[in-house]
Amino acid sequence: MKKQYLITLLAALLITVIPSCKKGTIYKTLIISDQSDNDRTTSAAIVRQILDETGMFNCTVMTTPAKAEDMSAFSPNFSRYKLVVLDYAGEVWPEKTTAAFTDYLNNGGGVVVCNPKSDPISGPSDTVTVSKRKDFEIRTVVFDHPVTKGLPVRWLHASDELVHGVNVGGENVQILATASSGAAFSGTGRREPVLFSRNYGKGRIFTTLIGTPDGGENTALHCTGFIVTLQRGAEWAASGSVTREVPFDFPTAAGVVLRPDFREIDLEDAFANIGNYDIPKSTRYFIWLQSQIRKAAGNEETLLMLEKKMDGVLTNKEATVEAKKLILRELSWMGTDYSVPVIKSLESVPELRDDMEYALARLQITDN
Amino acid sequence: MSKRTSRRDFIKKSVAATTGIFVIPHIIPASALGINSVTAPSDRVVMGAIGTGSQGTSNMRDFLQLGNAVQFVALCDVDSNNLARAKGIVDTAYKNSDCRTYGDFREFLAKEKLDAVSIALPDHWHGIIYTEAVNNKLHVYGEKPICRTIKDGQTIVAAVKRNNIIWQTGSWQRSLPNFRRGAELAINGRAGKINYIEVGLPDGGGGIGTPPVKEVPPELNWEMWLGPAPRVAYRGVSHWNWRWILDYSGGQLTDWAGHHIDIANWGAGLEHTGPVEISGAGVYPAEGIYNVPVEYDFLCKYANGIQMRVANASRLKLGMGTTWYGDRGWIHTDRGNRLSASDPKILEEVIGENEIHLYKSENHWQNFIDCVHSGNQAIAPVEVAYHAISVGLLGEIAMTTGQTIHWDPEKEEITGNPRASRLLSRPYRQPWTLPNV
Repeated sequence: MKKQYLITLLAALLITVIPSCKKGTIYKTLIISDQSDNDRTTSAAIVRQILDETGMFNCTVMTTPAKAEDMSAFSPNFSRYKLVVLDYAGEVWPEKTTAAFTDYLNNGGGVVVCNPKSDPISGPSDTVTVSKRKDFEIRTVVFDHPVTKGLPVRWLHASDELVHGVNVGGENVQILATASSGAAFSGTGRREPVLFSRNYGKGRIFTTLIGTPDGGENTALHCTGFIVTLQRGAEWAASGSVTREVPFDFPTAAGVVLRPDFREIDLEDAFANIGNYDIPKSTRYFIWLQSQIRKAAGNEETLLMLEKKMDGVLTNKEATVEAKKLILRELSWMGTDYSVPVIKSLESVPELRDDMEYALARLQITDN
Repeated sequence: MSKRTSRRDFIKKSVAATTGIFVIPHIIPASALGINSVTAPSDRVVMGAIGTGSQGTSNMRDFLQLGNAVQFVALCDVDSNNLARAKGIVDTAYKNSDCRTYGDFREFLAKEKLDAVSIALPDHWHGIIYTEAVNNKLHVYGEKPICRTIKDGQTIVAAVKRNNIIWQTGSWQRSLPNFRRGAELAINGRAGKINYIEVGLPDGGGGIGTPPVKEVPPELNWEMWLGPAPRVAYRGVSHWNWRWILDYSGGQLTDWAGHHIDIANWGAGLEHTGPVEISGAGVYPAEGIYNVPVEYDFLCKYANGIQMRVANASRLKLGMGTTWYGDRGWIHTDRGNRLSASDPKILEEVIGENEIHLYKSENHWQNFIDCVHSGNQAIAPVEVAYHAISVGLLGEIAMTTGQTIHWDPEKEEITGNPRASRLLSRPYRQPWTLPNV
C-alpha cells in the first residue's frame, strides 16, 4: 500500500503533462497537493485530468512535504504560472511562501481552490462540518459572472458531502452557487455556498466546495456539474473571462449526469455510439446530436455534414431500431432532400414503417 | 345529431319560457318547473366527460358542485380503473348507477346525446378529440393547453367557429378576482403604457429516469392512449408523467402557458394576436426519457413594441406569475390571491365607467353552463386559448431549432424558415388523422 502510494507520488511529481494543444492560449498551471491523505493525491490527479481535457492548461503537480516534515523549503516560484490550483488540506505554509503567494495574486495571478477545509494561509477552520454523502441540488445564484453565465438555475450534483459553515467573507467576494442544508442533511436550513469567486488585488480566486473524493468510485468528481464549473472557474481565474460553452450534458433538476472518463463527447464518439442507442443505457449521444443541430443553426455546411452522418446510421445494418427511429424523427424537421432516398430505403423494415412515414410526411412540407 | 340539435333548441325555448312566453308543455311534471330552486330537467345541461384522470375528475367534481345545473350521464377513458372510479363519483352524486362508460371516444360521441362535454386528455390527443367533439356540435369545456401543435390549434379554432358552439378553456385563473383585477389595472394603464411583460412558469425537474419496459396493465388500452403519437414500448409512463415527454407535451412551459401567458395577454390586449419574433434557449436533460426543456427562457416581440419574456420561475426576480411592466411601474399577480405593484396605490385605483372593464366570472364552470344557456361567449374562448398556447409552442420551436423565429400573426405562419415551419405540425400515426373542419 505504502509503496503504491509512493509510486503515485513520484509519478505525480515527475510527469509534466503536456496536453493535446488546441488553438488558443495555454495557461501554465501549478497544482499543489499535499501528502496528508491519499484522497488529496487522488483528487489532484483527477483535477489535472479535468483541466487537461480542455487543452487550455499545461499542468504541473507539486506535492508539499509530508505532515510534520520541514516545510521551510517549500517555496514554489508562483510567478512562473498563470494559474495555481490548491487541492490542499495540509499544514500552514511558511511565511515567505505565503507572502510570495499573496504577491502572485496581487500581481494578477489566478487561483483555484478545491475543497478548502483548511487553507494554507490561515489554517484549519473549526466551524466547518461536512454532511453525509448524497446527491443534492445546487442553485446557480449569479448569472452575469463569467463562470456561471448560461448554467441552469437548478442542477443535481452527484454523491457528495455538503460543506456546512464555511464563512465566505472579504471584499469582492461573490457567492455564485449554493445548496440548501435543509432537512435532507439535518442541517440548518441555511443556503450554504458551493461555488464562489473573489477578485483579489489584480488577481482572481475561484473556490469550489464540491468534488470530494470518496475513496472508491469518486462519483462526485465525475459529476459533469463539478467538472464543468472547475474548468470554467480555472479559465476565469487564469484569464478573467470564460470562452468555453456550457456543454449539453450539464446536469439539470431532472437528474445527475456523470462523465465516466471526464471527457466531453465529440463528433467521433457520438456517431461511434449513437448507432448502439439503447434507451436504458444512455440517451446522451442522441441528446448531444440535438444540441449540435441547434448549434449549427443557419450553417448549412455543418448541418449537411451532420445529416450525412445521420443517414449513415440509417444505412448501418448494425445500428439499433431505436437509434434509427430517433434519427428519423430528427431528420423529419432538419433534413433535406438529400436524405429522402435513404429514408425511403427503409420501407422494407416493418418496425420502422411508422417512423419512415412520419419523416417523409414532414420533409415534404418544404414551403411556407 | 338531429336529436342533439333539438335538445339545444329545447334549452333555448326553456330559457325563453322563463323570460315571459309562459307556455308550459304538459309533458313536464310540476315538480320540474324550477319552483323551490329546483332546475327543470329541460334546463339542465346534459354532460359527459372524456378523460377521467386527475384533471378530468377535478373538472367533473367542479361541474357536479353546480348541482342540478348539469347532469352527467356518460364518461370515457382508456383506463378502466379511472373510468370505474369516476363513474362511482357520478353515481354517488346522483344516488343511482346510471352513468354510462366507454373506452373509445368514437363510440361515446356516436351513441351519447349530450349538450356538452368536459375533456381533459394528454395534449397529443387534443387535436383529434376536441375537433371531433366540436364537429359533433357539442359545447366543450376543454383543458389547456388546447393543442400540442400550432396546426392542431388552428384546426380546433376553425372547428369552433364553424360549428358555432360554446367553448370554455380550463384557464380558470380568469375567474379569480386577483387575476382579473391585475389584468384590468394593467390594460387600463395603471402602470403606464405596458412595454414589457414577464411570465414565470414552473421549473422542470423531478426526473423520471428511464423506467424499464413493462407489461401494459390490464386496465390500460395503451394503443389507444398513444393514439396519433409514435408507437413506443410501455414504461409505466402514462398518467401525469406524460408531461415530461415531447411526444405528448412540451413540459411545464406548455402545461402552464394557458394560465400565466393567458393572463399576460388579457392584461396587455394581446389576446387576439401573436408575437412577430421569438428567440431563446432551453435546458434539456442529457440522460433519461424526460426530454422536455427542464428550464426555458425566451423573448417574444410583438408588432406593437411590447416584449414578453417567458421563463421558468427561478430565473425571474418575481418568480411565478405574470408581471406587466409599464412606463410608470409594474403590476404582478400569481396564484394564492397574490396581487402586488411597484406602488401600493396602484392597487387602490378605481376603474372609471368609460374605461375597459374585463369580462367578469366568479365561477369558471358556472360561466360555461351560463353561456351554454345564453349563447354568450365564455370567459376563456378558444381563440384566446390558442393565442396563449401558441406563444409557448413558438417558444418551443425557437428553442428546438436554436434560431430566432419570425412569425406572421395575420397569416399564422413562420416566415423564411422551412425547417422551423415543419415543426408547426406533426404527422399522425395511422390510422389517425386530424379531422376535417
